[in-house]
Amino acid sequence: MQISVNGRPHDLDPARSPTLLAALRDQLELTSPKLVCDRGECGACTVRLDGALVYACLTLTAACEGADVQTVESLAGDGTLHPLQQAFIDHDAAQCGFCTPGQLMAAAALLERTPNPDDADIRAAMSGNLCRCGTYPKIIAAIRAVADASGAAT
Amino acid sequence: MTEPRARFVQTIVEVEGRTESRVVEMPAFEPAPWTADTPLAIVGTSAIRVDAYEKVTGRARYTADIVRPGMLHAVIVRSPIARGTLTTVDLDAARAVPGVRGVMGPGDAPAGTRLFRTDVGYAGQPLAAVCADSLDAATRAARVVTRSLRFDLAPHAVTVDDAIAPGAPTVRSDKPNASTPDVTERGDIARGLAEADVTLTREYRTQVALHSALEPHGAVCEWTGDHLTVWESTQGIFRVRSDVAKALGVPQASVRVLKDYMGGGFGAKNGAGAHTFTAALFARALGAPVRCINDREAEQTDSGNRPATVQKVTIAARRDGTLTALALDALVPLGISGWEGGPGQIYHELYACPNVRTSETWVYINASGMQAFRGPGYVEGAFGLESAMNALARELQMDPVALRLKNLATRDQRADRPFSGNRLDECYAEGMKRFGWPSTVNRLPSTVSHLRRGIGVAAQTWPTGGGPPSYALVRINSDASVDVLAGTQDLGTGSRTIFAQIAAEALGARLDTVRAVIGDTERLPYTGNSWGSMTTPSVGPAVRMAAEDARMHLLEAAAQLMDLPVDSLRAEGSMVLSSSGASMSFADVCKRLGNVQIVGRGSRGPNPAGVAIVTVGAQFVEVEVDAETGVVRVLRVVAVHDAGRIINPALAESQMHGGIIQGVGYALFEERHIDRTSGVPLNTSLHDYKVPTMLDVPAIDASFLSGSDTVANHVGARGIAEPPIIPTAPAIAAAVADALGVEVRQIPLTPWRVLGALAE
Repeated sequence: MQISVNGRPHDLDPARSPTLLAALRDQLELTSPKLVCDRGECGACTVRLDGALVYACLTLTAACEGADVQTVESLAGDGTLHPLQQAFIDHDAAQCGFCTPGQLMAAAALLERTPNPDDADIRAAMSGNLCRCGTYPKIIAAIRAVADASGAAT
Repeated sequence: MTEPRARFVQTIVEVEGRTESRVVEMPAFEPAPWTADTPLAIVGTSAIRVDAYEKVTGRARYTADIVRPGMLHAVIVRSPIARGTLTTVDLDAARAVPGVRGVMGPGDAPAGTRLFRTDVGYAGQPLAAVCADSLDAATRAARVVTRSLRFDLAPHAVTVDDAIAPGAPTVRSDKPNASTPDVTERGDIARGLAEADVTLTREYRTQVALHSALEPHGAVCEWTGDHLTVWESTQGIFRVRSDVAKALGVPQASVRVLKDYMGGGFGAKNGAGAHTFTAALFARALGAPVRCINDREAEQTDSGNRPATVQKVTIAARRDGTLTALALDALVPLGISGWEGGPGQIYHELYACPNVRTSETWVYINASGMQAFRGPGYVEGAFGLESAMNALARELQMDPVALRLKNLATRDQRADRPFSGNRLDECYAEGMKRFGWPSTVNRLPSTVSHLRRGIGVAAQTWPTGGGPPSYALVRINSDASVDVLAGTQDLGTGSRTIFAQIAAEALGARLDTVRAVIGDTERLPYTGNSWGSMTTPSVGPAVRMAAEDARMHLLEAAAQLMDLPVDSLRAEGSMVLSSSGASMSFADVCKRLGNVQIVGRGSRGPNPAGVAIVTVGAQFVEVEVDAETGVVRVLRVVAVHDAGRIINPALAESQMHGGIIQGVGYALFEERHIDRTSGVPLNTSLHDYKVPTMLDVPAIDASFLSGSDTVANHVGARGIAEPPIIPTAPAIAAAVADALGVEVRQIPLTPWRVLGALAE
């Protein structure tokens, strides 16, 4: 089965890995999406599937034939971080970092959809991504900073 | 010539409230303390977390991300019943499942692992394990084993009330359900009660809370001959090493434990567990690397918890607020096993009160055993003590901060000795200023709205001195890059960053040239577990000493190369500078030295005698309660703590946020439920066990007093990680009581408990 991950074609065996999360981690050894709950409760495996934000643990591999999957590795360009990645660094928005790839994917989707979110927009959009270290205030600050910077630029 | 002799002394170390006497080696020298006025360029700055780049790019490799060639996957089969005897298990059926490579059951593991016993004491207890080519195959085979299990059922007790009731079932075969009470007393309670104008007695209850680290417990094990490598998500690599060596009967030198990144610990990852032994045993038997990672259900069922408490509190005071007696009668259901953390300690420590008596009874129940959970004992105890203090303030019609200042402990109450530093009074003052206490500005009139607002306060103390033994090396490479070598752990706290900052400061190097190498028992010097908020105060001084030692060596070498007296030289910004104006870069010095290695050695010296070392703080909270639905929303939290020197303010603030947000969850919705009839845990997912989301987070203003604790250690830092969670729940409960005019004495403050209290 053919699938594109971060712009590169890959051949996957859906029988070996029923979920997209298992396929990414076990067949492609792409470990940024994390296995935490395996039932769509925590957001640590959040990826983009043809642009849409999905929980990879709830996405069937067999349903992804020909799809374009993006993980956090797709955010950075050649040698440059995505503004959200830089903002997460600058605002100390990752403690243990286990939820961070999922948080970044959710935040990137939010800013594409709503370039200038208010505080309630951010909280609602990010509420499906748990962080047990309690980094939420810094994640909000990082997203806010990127939104404000892009607003100032336009 | 005199023979160099090591000097060993005894020192007192406090770990999570327990006091231990240890013999330690005196360091060869102790640097002069960094005082509050010492000009520091790197320590005290909000340097970027050194591994932030790896974390935001997805490159950080956690234990569950470790893949070894030919790696197999193990799954543990757990008991579906709470109490009884396993009579039948069919392992052959599992062996027939395609892909299965090995199965273990009762009798197949060394006794030291305590694995796969037939005497079942709680639902979730490991009974067998399977190992297969894939996780899917192992999971399928585990289900086959589960279906084959047969038991002689025995009655169970999963609540403290059930376990201490007359005629209660026997929880454990080897011990009574309830211990004899641990009683600690100072003064004379009867006299204190007789002297009081006001006496209140209250019963407070706290729940079982689950650590719920997003990365589950897990290990990858691989044998090479008789040498075992363990990748483990742990707060203590050396503890895992000794646990594994002891359980498997192999020398510690044959076990290497590695831990690079880990996805949270919060106290539950302090040693080897069933997953570690299972992976190690299968790996040895099958001659292949084996990964064993808890799934979420196992993680929420059997990886530790904060035990519940029942606290009967008697608090007595004179009309002016002076405490005359404090008494606690506590029941603590530990689970099937556990150690004596206990809610009593903070009752002895937070206030100056001449008459204090605590009685703690430890109760076994048929549930997974407790583990330390961020501020163990003190979090539970603070809810009872601080709630009672707030109730007393209401009774006396006294401001709760004024009541606390009236009873401020200016000396350690347990041992009548001074503190190394304790500025709790300043924490109150600063917190009141930031919060606007006592505030009436945001209060909504209850006559016109079902939304009621209230404010509350609570305080905290926690022993954070840390102590020896901890060792570090600082190695300057031939290109002047610097390695800090210390066998410690970074749980997400930022210790990698902290130690790079301390080393760079002491060495006089640029921070970007210094890298902290941690998490390897084989190639790094020993440090202790990252528990008890003691990593920075324990390892920090060893790192500083190692860097000072390396700097002295470097300057000696530079003095030769520059033909200048060494005492005219200093190191700054990776340059050797002389008082005469001459200079030479570290890089040039190292280039000239070639492969002559500069290695500084550091160790943590003994703690100062005769002082108590604590971190203290105060938190102020505003809540909004919906009197129709019972839903509590925390609007804002102001926290001011005193932890001596703060090495990195941004990272310290992150830890404060984390503690407070976990405290919000503990106060409002986190609670493990076990079905009394079946004895089985009911909420073993992250949907059913509610941890805070971004929607639950209040506005948080978290800060530390500036300063340096030069008595505690020469870095001046005490611990910061656990204290922030301690006062949050009682402060929230006080604010709810303020909003409603009625006290809810059991957490979490769920809507039905709030409505129930309102209905009374």
